[in-house]
Amino acid sequence: MRAYAGLARAAARSVLTYRLNFLFGTGALVVHLVAMLALWSALLDAGRSVAGFTLPEMKAYLLIAFGTGFLVSIFGDFRMASRIHSGMVALDLVKPVDYQAARLAESTGGVVAEVGAVAVVWVGVVTFAGPVAAPGWPQGLLFAVSVAAVVPLKFLVVYLSTLLCFWTQNYLGVFWARDVVVSLFSGALVPLALLPGWFQATAAVLPFAGITSVPALIYLGHVRGAAALGLVGLQLAWAVVLWYAARLAWRGAVRKLTVHGG
Amino acid sequence: MAGPTGVRRLLWLYRRSLGANLRAVLEYETDFWIMVAAALAAQLVGLVFIGALFSQVPELHGWRFAEVVLIYALANLAAGIGALLFDGVWRLPWMVNQGELDYLLVRPYPVVLQVTGTAVGMQSLGEIVGAGAMLGWALWRVDLDWSPITVAVGVVLVASAVAIRVAVTVVSNAAVFWLTAPSSMLAVSVNQLGDLARYPLTVYGVVLRVLLAGVLPFAFTSFFPAAWLVGRDGYAWVGLLTPVVALYCVGVAALVFRRGLRRYESAGH
Amino acid sequence: MALVEAEGLRKVFRLPVKEPGLGGAVKHLFVRRHRDVVAVDGVNLVIEAGEAVAYVGPNGAGKSTTVKLLTGILVPTAGRVLVDGVEPHRDRRANARQIGVLFGQRSQLWWDLPVRESLALLRDMYGLGAREYAERLERFDAVLDLGDLLPVLARKLSLGQRMRADLAAALLHDPRVVYLDEPTIGLDIAVKDRVRAFLRELRAGGTTIMLTTHDLGDMEDVCERLVVIDRGRIIYDGALAAVKDRFARDRRMHLVLAEPVPHAVVAARLPRAEVVAGGTATEFTVVFDRFGHTAGEVIAALLPLAEVVELRIDEPAIEDVVRKVYAGELSLDGDPA
Repeated sequence: MRAYAGLARAAARSVLTYRLNFLFGTGALVVHLVAMLALWSALLDAGRSVAGFTLPEMKAYLLIAFGTGFLVSIFGDFRMASRIHSGMVALDLVKPVDYQAARLAESTGGVVAEVGAVAVVWVGVVTFAGPVAAPGWPQGLLFAVSVAAVVPLKFLVVYLSTLLCFWTQNYLGVFWARDVVVSLFSGALVPLALLPGWFQATAAVLPFAGITSVPALIYLGHVRGAAALGLVGLQLAWAVVLWYAARLAWRGAVRKLTVHGG
Repeated sequence: MAGPTGVRRLLWLYRRSLGANLRAVLEYETDFWIMVAAALAAQLVGLVFIGALFSQVPELHGWRFAEVVLIYALANLAAGIGALLFDGVWRLPWMVNQGELDYLLVRPYPVVLQVTGTAVGMQSLGEIVGAGAMLGWALWRVDLDWSPITVAVGVVLVASAVAIRVAVTVVSNAAVFWLTAPSSMLAVSVNQLGDLARYPLTVYGVVLRVLLAGVLPFAFTSFFPAAWLVGRDGYAWVGLLTPVVALYCVGVAALVFRRGLRRYESAGH
Repeated sequence: MALVEAEGLRKVFRLPVKEPGLGGAVKHLFVRRHRDVVAVDGVNLVIEAGEAVAYVGPNGAGKSTTVKLLTGILVPTAGRVLVDGVEPHRDRRANARQIGVLFGQRSQLWWDLPVRESLALLRDMYGLGAREYAERLERFDAVLDLGDLLPVLARKLSLGQRMRADLAAALLHDPRVVYLDEPTIGLDIAVKDRVRAFLRELRAGGTTIMLTTHDLGDMEDVCERLVVIDRGRIIYDGALAAVKDRFARDRRMHLVLAEPVPHAVVAARLPRAEVVAGGTATEFTVVFDRFGHTAGEVIAALLPLAEVVELRIDEPAIEDVVRKVYAGELSLDGDPA
């Protein structure tokens, strides 16, 4: 356990080393957030509401989408992909830690820095962009649990897609494809309620909705009580399923492993 | 001298260089198709987003669905063509940091063109196909007085849009001469700002409007040209300024790059 | 008029000084502090057309920086460079046509393309005609054995192959001045010999050469003039042979005698030379000044003691001199020329 804590700490510290990249990386996502806020403000002016979302609610939704989009994003895929490519992953294999758990520990370490940045952005938006919807305490508590579940869930989606790098040279393409799928099915692009019924039904059973839509809807109180608990349960169930799916994929990847260079 | 001379020679050589790099890219054929597919998917998702918005409201600040698609398609087309022809610019930070400009500086060809010609953006094909299809659809659906002049001006506007996008990317990547960090994150952030131009400028507050119309004139890659095409009162004439803005941007980029080269320190002295 | 002229050449690099930790980093964003590093400090250099100059010095002495200043890759902090009247960093394209550059540590070949494609791209960039190009390739092939390499992807070349291809790339346009920065680094003897043969031929053809190297065999083989730089300043500029005559005088003769002879007896026969006992009682090494003794005199002095079974002579090398200069044991002040 000490080893994993050490990895997490090192990951959190590396944000300081690459602070300029971290800053600009945050900036890129903030730009997107600003665009979405502007668009929705234009659409929902004069107290209009769309698919049950008023402007303050939509702002809250966008902030949550920004936050969950930012979590588990700075430490992980690119670093892991480049180690797979260069063959350095072989060095990770001989370390006395579980590869998958080690990567989770690093991502969790990164989350510490990410939460800080998200908080700063949230405060900024709330200060400058007017009222944002806030939940009552039972909803708030459930929201916190749901957000916590986002960390392993999103990590596993990222981790599984990165394992594809054992089979293809082009991780940029893989990551783009993944980001497209995640943003569409998670509700980060646009609330799922605005999309056709059949799409909503599909998205509801996939793991991606747990990354953005579920915590956002719980926060806004659009789902409450037993239904909300059920959704959090689904998030956790998916996390468990993906954890073991990743183990399986890893076994295949190691078999595939060819160390370049030498 | 073999081959043509003057500007034609520059272009001919540039095409030669891109062609050679395209061949290099196609060494990894699967990767190429993955990128094309991913880029195409990203375009479609953007369209889904706009579609979802307009499934709820008939217009956005007076802009109808097809018109917003037109703006969106123009912005992406400029980015896609830029990536097809000038993607090497993203390698500049790495090249400067690793001292890889050394050989480029002792060849009889403009350094900036040698850099931009070192890569062909694999995603560009997907972007151009996706954006082109959307543009075609939007042009069919919006009210447009078709004439040879419309077509000619339209082509000039698109070319200028590409020039603006590329020039800003050159400047933001050339920041490495001053920052000396081997990273293009600053340029990535600036490029993201360019994506704001995918939507009507009027939805943004005054700060962003000034930024996108003046400081980093991305609005000229999409919004203003679209406004001219559909004849939107108050903005249409601004669209005709696009070539002027493009010339200005290219001039600034050339100046900044030249200044930067003077600061180039190579590696390992 | 000289072909290459550098006057008062100076290059200062500014390195940021950062205090450790986050506080230091944040502070650096606002208060920039720099440390100046003077890499080249007032270098004057004149190279006549057709000269071959060996430019040597310890690591970090400013060799590569000088080459980058002379080629226009770097802009000097002070001073001026003229190559046939052209200031390299101001008129890059005119400069590019008359110079050829090779950095041994770095390739200019297109990584994912066959060598042939890289050369063809350079041909077009320099605007060479088809006949000219074919003739040059043929010439390169004769000395560098380029033919087999042409269809190979650059990234698949071995170091020696890569260096041969890179030499061809640097010299394709038949430049008047060639700067070679460590052209034999990491090469095995066979390839090294081939590269040196190529450089000799180049020189015979009248090309001006500036050779930066740690390999002292390279310079003795190719150059007649030696320039030594240390800590950014030129500490010697003169004939290679003069340095050799003045400082590289000791020849070493390794002998095996037919029967054991005491060291003192051998030493007594050669009072003006240094005698070192070898691994066995029959082996000796005699170190003598080549202007003080001939090899024949040494052998004649030893013959009365025992029959000489084996004999090998190491010639004095400029290598030893430069090594001593690097180590600070020897000063070349007071040009012997």
